[in-house]
Amino acid sequence: MRDPYEILGVSRTATSEEIKKAYLRLAKKLHPDLNPGDKRAEEKFKEVSRANDFLSDPERRRRYDAGEIDAAGVEKAAQRFYKDYAGASGNPYETEGAYADFADTDSFFADLLRRRAQEARRARGADQLYRLEVDFLDAINGGKKEIGLPQGGRLDVTIPAGIEEGQILRLRGKGAPSPGEGEAGDALIEISVRPHPFFSRDGRDIRLDLPITLTEAALGAEVKAPTPSGPVLLKIPKGSNTGTVLRLKGKGVLRGDKRGDGLVRLQVMMPTHSDPALEAFLSSWRPVADYDPRREMEQPS
Amino acid sequence: MIREQEFLQLAQLDRATLRVWIEEAWLAPVERDGESVFEEIDLARVRLILDLRQNMGVNDQGVGVILHLLDQLHGLRSAMGELLGTMREKRAAEREP
Repeated sequence: MRDPYEILGVSRTATSEEIKKAYLRLAKKLHPDLNPGDKRAEEKFKEVSRANDFLSDPERRRRYDAGEIDAAGVEKAAQRFYKDYAGASGNPYETEGAYADFADTDSFFADLLRRRAQEARRARGADQLYRLEVDFLDAINGGKKEIGLPQGGRLDVTIPAGIEEGQILRLRGKGAPSPGEGEAGDALIEISVRPHPFFSRDGRDIRLDLPITLTEAALGAEVKAPTPSGPVLLKIPKGSNTGTVLRLKGKGVLRGDKRGDGLVRLQVMMPTHSDPALEAFLSSWRPVADYDPRREMEQPS
Repeated sequence: MIREQEFLQLAQLDRATLRVWIEEAWLAPVERDGESVFEEIDLARVRLILDLRQNMGVNDQGVGVILHLLDQLHGLRSAMGELLGTMREKRAAEREP
C-alpha cells in the first residue's frame, strides 16, 4: 500500500477526526455502488478504505509513524457490492423509469422494452440445493425418501438403485418458484451414503469379510453369507484360507444394465474359548507336508 | 433464498427497522406462504443502505431518492447492455457473406 496519509490527502499530524472526515469525503465520491461502471473508482475506494482502516487503529498508526511497520495493509475478504448483484440479470429492483419514454417515439426501443418485460415474466425460479443422507442398502437397492423443506412442506425423492456418494439428483420444478409466470427452478439433491457395518463398495462390486470356523476352512462347508439382496448359501471349498476371495456372481450393484458381483473374503477364526480337545489334537499333529507359512519372509543368509 | 429470521441476523437489523424499510419500498422481499423471503441482492442492498446512512451521512429522505435513482441507473445499464448485444449481433450478421 502507498502511504496512507497520502492516499487520504491528510497531513501526518491530522487528528483522527480529520482523517475520518477526509475518508468520508472520498468514500462518497468513490463508493462503487454510486459508480457502478467505474473500475478505477472501485480500486480507489478500496485503497481509501484500507488507508482509513489502517490509520484508525491508534496503535498501528503510532508504530507506522515511528517507522516500526510499513503500510502493508490488512487485506479484507473481497466485499461484494450491491452493484455486483444489481448488474446480474433478474434484478427485481431495476426500473425502466429512466428510458421508458424513448419507446413512444422509437419502435426499436418499444420492441426492446416489450422483450425485457416478457423475459422478466418468464424468468425461471432459482435452483435449490439440498443434502440427503441415505443408508448403504438404500443406495444399492434404491428406495423412497422424504426431505423436509426449510420453508415447510415435504419433497418425495426416489433414490435410483446403485446411486453413489456425491451424486446429485435433479427434481424438475421442485426448486424456487418463478418471480413471474415462468417455470419453477429445480431441486438439486446431493446424496451422501452412510457406511455399512460389514459391506463396502468397490465400483459395481460389493466387498464383504466373512468369518468362518477352522472346521469350515479345513473341511469345506456351505454357509450362509449376507448380500445386499438377502442371504445366500456360499460353498466354501475344502482347505480355504484367510484371504481367499470367493465371487458371488450378480450379487453386486446394478449400474446401467450391468450388475457387479459380491466379493467375499474369508477370515478363518479360532474358537473364542480355549479348547482342550483341539489343543490335544494339535500337539500330537504332524503335518504330512512342509508347513512353514513364514518361509517367504526369511532373509537369505 | 433466505428466511426473515436468518436475514435479520445476517443483515444485523431489528424487525421494526426491516418493517419500515419494506414499507418505504427500500426492500422488496418476495412473499411466500405468508412469509417474506429474501435473496443475496437484498442483503447487499441492506449493506448499501447502512453505508449511505452511517458512513455517508445521508438521511432517510436521501436514501429513498438515491435508491430510486440507482434502480433507474441499473435499469438503464441493463437496457444499454442489451442494446449493445443486439448491435453486436447485427454487425456480425452483416459481416457474414
